[in-house]
Amino acid sequence: MGTFIQWKNFEALVPYATMFKEGLIVTVLMALLTVLLGFVLGLVLSVMRMSNFRPFLWLAHAFPGVFGFFERDKSGLLRDSGFLFHLGRFNPLSFLATAYVEIIRSTPVLVQVMVIYFGVFSQLFDLPNFKIFGFIAFDRFFPGVMALAMNSGAYLCEIIRSGLQSIDGGQTEAARSLGLSQLQNLRFIILPQAIKNILPAIANEFVTIIKESAVTYTIGVQDIMAMVQAIKSATYLIMEPLLVATGLYFCLCFPLSKLIAYIERRMSRGDRR
Amino acid sequence: MIGDKLIQVRDLKKYYNRGAIKALDGVTVDIDRGDVMVVIGPSGSGKSTFLRSLNLLEMPTGGSIIFDGVDITKPKTKNAEGKLVKVDIDQHRQKMGMVFQHFNLFPHMTIMDNMTLAPIQVKHMNRAEAEKKAQGLLERVGLGDRAGAYPIQLSGGQKQRIAIVRALMMEPEVMLFDEPTSALDPEMVGEVLEVMKELAQEGMTMVVVTHEMGFAREVGSRVLFMADGKLLEQGSPADIFGNPQNPRLQDFLSKVL
Repeated sequence: MGTFIQWKNFEALVPYATMFKEGLIVTVLMALLTVLLGFVLGLVLSVMRMSNFRPFLWLAHAFPGVFGFFERDKSGLLRDSGFLFHLGRFNPLSFLATAYVEIIRSTPVLVQVMVIYFGVFSQLFDLPNFKIFGFIAFDRFFPGVMALAMNSGAYLCEIIRSGLQSIDGGQTEAARSLGLSQLQNLRFIILPQAIKNILPAIANEFVTIIKESAVTYTIGVQDIMAMVQAIKSATYLIMEPLLVATGLYFCLCFPLSKLIAYIERRMSRGDRR
Repeated sequence: MIGDKLIQVRDLKKYYNRGAIKALDGVTVDIDRGDVMVVIGPSGSGKSTFLRSLNLLEMPTGGSIIFDGVDITKPKTKNAEGKLVKVDIDQHRQKMGMVFQHFNLFPHMTIMDNMTLAPIQVKHMNRAEAEKKAQGLLERVGLGDRAGAYPIQLSGGQKQRIAIVRALMMEPEVMLFDEPTSALDPEMVGEVLEVMKELAQEGMTMVVVTHEMGFAREVGSRVLFMADGKLLEQGSPADIFGNPQNPRLQDFLSKVL
């Protein structure tokens, strides 16, 4: 126990303060970019999942004489079960998006990061080798951001989707019965109400990504965690730099999540339904 | 010409689970202009499904609904020149106002915005004109001073009166009421029925699903009795309440009257 966590060891870390600062910047920047890209991806995925793109039913409506059988049976009744019913309702866009979301959600983020870095960016694309701000290696940083964004896009898709679906169905019925189209319903009725549920959840996803981004040190992104490794090799200290990293992550995430909880309370005050 | 038949319902069916559940089992009825048709029946009889099928909030399994001469249950129809064109359900829904049991006002909008949204967005009415019209309707139902309020600030009876005039803003040809007073406290039922009664006296075509037998008797021009998804008896209020034929109707009336 003699050498375990000593004050003088922390003093030995002082010369490495710049490294921690750079690691901190990389982590925050990476999380910001990830949420931004992830949000765009999530939006596209959720639109795909909730779309009404059903080629077979479209055929049935466009050519009732020829393809009507996708929608109605021999006696002209609307199908509500069976193979042709499900084929009619088949939505390829939604299928693709759902498959993507489920694959991402069922595999470890570490695996995804490695597949993207070693599989996609090392083999298929050659990334230019330059440094942002003089210390962020682009050919590591970019794959890291892409992998995290692809991961968080799947989660954000679910956040957006559940936010939209949390709105009472009666709202849509009222809007549609007034003659509003599906798109007008989304724009004027559903989105304005759903945004209150969605925004705090997206902010929470940002906090999650700050923490998850630590795995990208495995592909050489110079984030906080990578700095811990570097300092360990230089000083043979591990607990002390880890504690500093713990403190940094905590100081980032704790106030942020408290702030989000506060804003969430403020926003929900308005709607006593 | 269709004469004054506004909606012709033919053999309307709504099945679930391959016909294991028949919410509507072949309903045929004509709704004429100026009719105040009151639909009564035990719960689970298909009254609401029938009403919600009329503007395709429920897509019927079979049968047809001919509204203004167009079969809205089919994807395509023949236009005046005899060409096949797509049936635009949004367009038909504009002409069918609907009032729900739970009001379904938009909670994030003021009363004024609730009322003017559809006329402005769908009918492209200009805002000033829409607001003037809305103000007029609000005053008619005694809520002229609540235009700037949010739905949360109103009582149930007030909300339902707003929901009625919100639907009226689109100048519908028919108004559909789905148990409009069932979610109200008893003391608020009267104010909503009063508005509906006035509407009926002005000649609005109405289809009303309700448990208010007093309203059916007093205001209805025709009463439909439904049970098990079937239309078992129809007639004038005097016949239905005074001289019921079907044993199910007799049984029902003995329980509710």
